[in-house]
Amino acid sequence: MNTEGPFLESLTRRLAETPPEFLLEPRIGNKGAVNVAAVVNDTLVALGQDALTQNDARVFQSTDAKQDRNRLQVTLLACWLLYDEWFRAHSEFTERALYFLQDDVRALSAVTNAQKFISDLDRREELVRVTLSAFGLRPFGETISQAQDRLMTLNAAERERVIQAARVAEQRAQAVREAMAKKAAEEAAAKAYRE
Amino acid sequence: MNAEDETRKSAFIRFYPRPNDSMWSELTDEQRHPLLDEQGARFLNRLREHPSAPRFNWRIGDRLTREGLETVRAYERELRAAEIGWQRGEIPDWLNEFVTRCYERVPFYRAYGDVPQNFFDVPLTTRADLARAPEMFVPDDLPLDDLIFYGSTGTTGHHIHVPSHPTSAAKYISLLRAALDKHGVSLQGGKNRVAIANVCFQERTATYAAILSQLNGSGVVKINLHPNEWNDANDRAKYLNALQPEIITGDPLSFAELMKLELAVKPKALSSTSMQLETGLRDALEKHFACPVVDVYAMTEAGPIAARVGEHFELLQHRLYVEILDERGEACVKGERGEIVLSGGMNPYFPLLRYRTNDYARLEFSGMKPLLADFSGRAPMVFQGENGKRINSADVNRALREFPVWQFTLHQNADASLLLRVVNPNVPLEQIRAELLRLFGAEQKLEIVRMESFGAQDKVVQYTSELERG
Repeated sequence: MNTEGPFLESLTRRLAETPPEFLLEPRIGNKGAVNVAAVVNDTLVALGQDALTQNDARVFQSTDAKQDRNRLQVTLLACWLLYDEWFRAHSEFTERALYFLQDDVRALSAVTNAQKFISDLDRREELVRVTLSAFGLRPFGETISQAQDRLMTLNAAERERVIQAARVAEQRAQAVREAMAKKAAEEAAAKAYRE
Repeated sequence: MNAEDETRKSAFIRFYPRPNDSMWSELTDEQRHPLLDEQGARFLNRLREHPSAPRFNWRIGDRLTREGLETVRAYERELRAAEIGWQRGEIPDWLNEFVTRCYERVPFYRAYGDVPQNFFDVPLTTRADLARAPEMFVPDDLPLDDLIFYGSTGTTGHHIHVPSHPTSAAKYISLLRAALDKHGVSLQGGKNRVAIANVCFQERTATYAAILSQLNGSGVVKINLHPNEWNDANDRAKYLNALQPEIITGDPLSFAELMKLELAVKPKALSSTSMQLETGLRDALEKHFACPVVDVYAMTEAGPIAARVGEHFELLQHRLYVEILDERGEACVKGERGEIVLSGGMNPYFPLLRYRTNDYARLEFSGMKPLLADFSGRAPMVFQGENGKRINSADVNRALREFPVWQFTLHQNADASLLLRVVNPNVPLEQIRAELLRLFGAEQKLEIVRMESFGAQDKVVQYTSELERG
């Protein structure tokens, strides 16, 4: 975060105005509309980086929608963000772009649905700050400590939300398991048929 | 065996005790039948204590409260008023909202991420998904007080527990009525009469008598025609003759057995589920019982889905969307046969989103009305045991339910030897061997192979045989 990058607001606004093409379903197996590997490749080239190798492209190809759809959706949003004029004009900062798209995006998408990075103000800001941080940048006009504090606050709040949601979900799952384990549940109710 | 496997094993054993073990819940008959009146209670006793009654091994009721009964009545009104249909390649009006609700409230679907704009981008759900974590399919906002479940193995070999509710169980009767209606038969029920006799023919199955408040206090019995279940084999006919059930439900194997009895029953209809009903048997049954035989396509995960009318199966549920997909999960072209995939359903405790059934048909349309053609359900499979003993695949299912088997296949070679393949690294093979030999005979040649998995798509043909089927 040693270097000042673009204005935070210019990037959060860019996310809020993500064009519909970047919200189409990612190609997974024989379904979906957008070839994510191709979009990543175009983005890297536009940033002045090496084109995607066949090996690296595999990360952005999938046949498992349940596993990879959200990650690939977030990847598309991240590509849209990186295509911003500022990044394209400063290729010296985006050498880690591929690493960012492979790893940081995976971590972000593990806890947040893609749509939230557009519709939720804090998640928009988080995606922008994580992106800048991955390239050693901070928003224009902020000190290093301000940028670090704000990113940590956003991360912590999201982590807390996720932990809380996971706790509630596990409690519910446990309650369902206990209800199913009761003799009365097993006894069931009379049906007209057996299948 | 690690703690997780122990939990899984004990859960299976707890879920599937052998009938006749000490297994009754602490429910009373009044709790099993919340709307039971004195007359109903007397009739229930008569059904259980009839001199020719079988040795019932399961206690059960309809569990319907007044509120639950009203829910079922409202469902029936909706069912009667609704038109079932959509344009080919499109989806019905209610489906988008249903998908959104599933993504919001059902943990399993929520994990998919955002709701896709296009319904056909919703991932397919498999039986393996349900087998792994049934609790993840129960919506967050449903009460758990009256949660029940039904177990099944089905064609893919996965043991599953389908979360359900007494109102969902009662909807089976609503849908049976809808199926019968298509054949001009009206199921009326009423006090002091048996509306439904559900007959089975297996070495072992749960059997019971109960009262249905939904049918104004009429009785329902589930009986097993296997002679072991009766004090005297002749009691089977005597009991059914005494009951004079309005409708008899069952599967082709049990109906074939039923025809051998000296019956004087005059049911309004027979309704067959569970296995493929061959035309020859259907014709013979219709002649023998002088009533229509209504072939119903049903599965534990979705309830009654469709009823045969002429050469086609007509859908029964007004909120069940059917697709026909090829092996890649793509929509079949018009007229092509493929796998039946379901969305919606009548059981709020297991909402279906693009659920692969492992059953196959073509989808045709009569106007907006979808019809299943060339349907193939589960073919009945009879294996040969020691000394030519015939073993129904349903008995193999039941025998293996006792164990933490995640999936299995059973193949009989041309020399009558058996090959059982089971999935689960910790399944006790020797105990399974003992159970199968008890069923097939001590001298039966049996090889058991433990598998990691059955590979792609979790689809297997569960029962196969090289022996001539007789």
